[in-house]
Amino acid sequence: MVVTGMGVVTPIGTTVADFWASCRAGRSGVGPLGGFPLEDLKILIAAQIKDFDHKARLKHFRRDKIIIHADRYSWFAAAAADEAIKQAGLEAPFQNPYRTACIIGSGAGGLVTFESAYRDLFILNKRATHPLTLLRIIGSSAAAHVGIEYGVKGPTFATCSACSTAAHAIGLGRDYIRAGLIDLAIVGASESVINYGTMKAWQAMHVLSPQGCFPFAKKRNGTVLGEGAGVLVLESEEHAKARGAKVLAELCGFGMTSDSKDMVNPDIDGPSEAMRLALADARVATTDIDYINAHGTATTINDRNETNAIKKVFGAHAGQLAISSTKSMHGHPLGAGGAIEAIASLKAMEENWVPPTIGLDEPDPECDLDYVPNMGREKRVTYAMSNSFAFGGLNAVLVFGPPPA
Amino acid sequence: MDEVATKIIDILKKHMKEPRDDIGLNTALTDLKIESLDLAMIVFDIEDSFGIEIPYNANEEAADFKTVGSVVDRVRALMSGAAAAKA
Repeated sequence: MVVTGMGVVTPIGTTVADFWASCRAGRSGVGPLGGFPLEDLKILIAAQIKDFDHKARLKHFRRDKIIIHADRYSWFAAAAADEAIKQAGLEAPFQNPYRTACIIGSGAGGLVTFESAYRDLFILNKRATHPLTLLRIIGSSAAAHVGIEYGVKGPTFATCSACSTAAHAIGLGRDYIRAGLIDLAIVGASESVINYGTMKAWQAMHVLSPQGCFPFAKKRNGTVLGEGAGVLVLESEEHAKARGAKVLAELCGFGMTSDSKDMVNPDIDGPSEAMRLALADARVATTDIDYINAHGTATTINDRNETNAIKKVFGAHAGQLAISSTKSMHGHPLGAGGAIEAIASLKAMEENWVPPTIGLDEPDPECDLDYVPNMGREKRVTYAMSNSFAFGGLNAVLVFGPPPA
Repeated sequence: MDEVATKIIDILKKHMKEPRDDIGLNTALTDLKIESLDLAMIVFDIEDSFGIEIPYNANEEAADFKTVGSVVDRVRALMSGAAAAKA
């Protein structure tokens, strides 16, 4: 199973090139919250995307006539898919539409549309919602929009598993290809939920930082909400070879588990078993892994637990790993995180350069691995792992390796 | 053409990918390449502009919406109904 295309929309760059340039520069996308009345909110920062012009990015869309009227989360997905598909050198409509999948998840779908529609009804006493409200809200609309534009007629749906949404979508696409159901898959996730109601709900969970996203740092005090999308093009090796596509990497391992224990307190077994399964699936040893893009949310509990889970799986090699949380730069894009971070891992492999965890001046003594603090660095990266550990204890881990010889 | 017709034609044009200037009362909506989703948005806009509610079900063939003129007539009838209800 190979990766032939990738696309992102993030607060630190709305194309892969710009996103990666920001990672290289250790740039933070966290800033003052804005775009809607803040009213009584106490958390006043987020990693929002401010330079995304959906009309310019999607103006060439032809088959999907209403993408411009879709929810922002569908715009992000469409733009990321467009970039990934162009890089893969594919043209719409695809040649074997029934052997192509479009699996683009979202943790919450069109939540911003939801809130504004309910404001219209309950506060402004409007007589009706906009006719496209339903289509904007549904969590499968991003997958459907992309599928329509590119003429995908095979399995098309969304995954939904909070912060593991994207990793599950990528893993499922790979499994469908491996099972022989399809040859090609557009996979990833998109999220755009930053509004008053979402901020209130997260605030009530008491897991957001008022200062910034500082994974593994002693000073960390919560995560910072982000937004964005990441999409990969996956295909079977034969399919890629037959059409002369440039192979970026192999998606060689996928592991998924559930803690089955607690909605918010992760345990060590679930995440470590997901990592172990992904390694076994990839048929690589722990010592083959050079880089881990950590889930690294900057909550007190995640970063300690993830550190301990990595130690449990990797043993003595844990200390040799370069581990970073790119959330320190792009914030926590919730369902989209796994795809954006998979792309950061793929870029690390391509350039043999590992991105930093910024804001890591003083590590938490209980987080004592190499988190590539503040400055990225040259390092040979042959195999990379990308971790996603979601609320509910839902774990999904991807392992990428070099293009097959 | 009166104000109601002009307003309705403006709304139709707003929802067309390639707006035309030759739309008259006899123009069939099918000639304007208006699809079911567009129609829902057009109905929504007309309702908002005229302060009326148009009984319309996307599952049914709507004779009232065959031509631009039939839409204008329907809106006018609903407006006078609304005015009578208020009186």
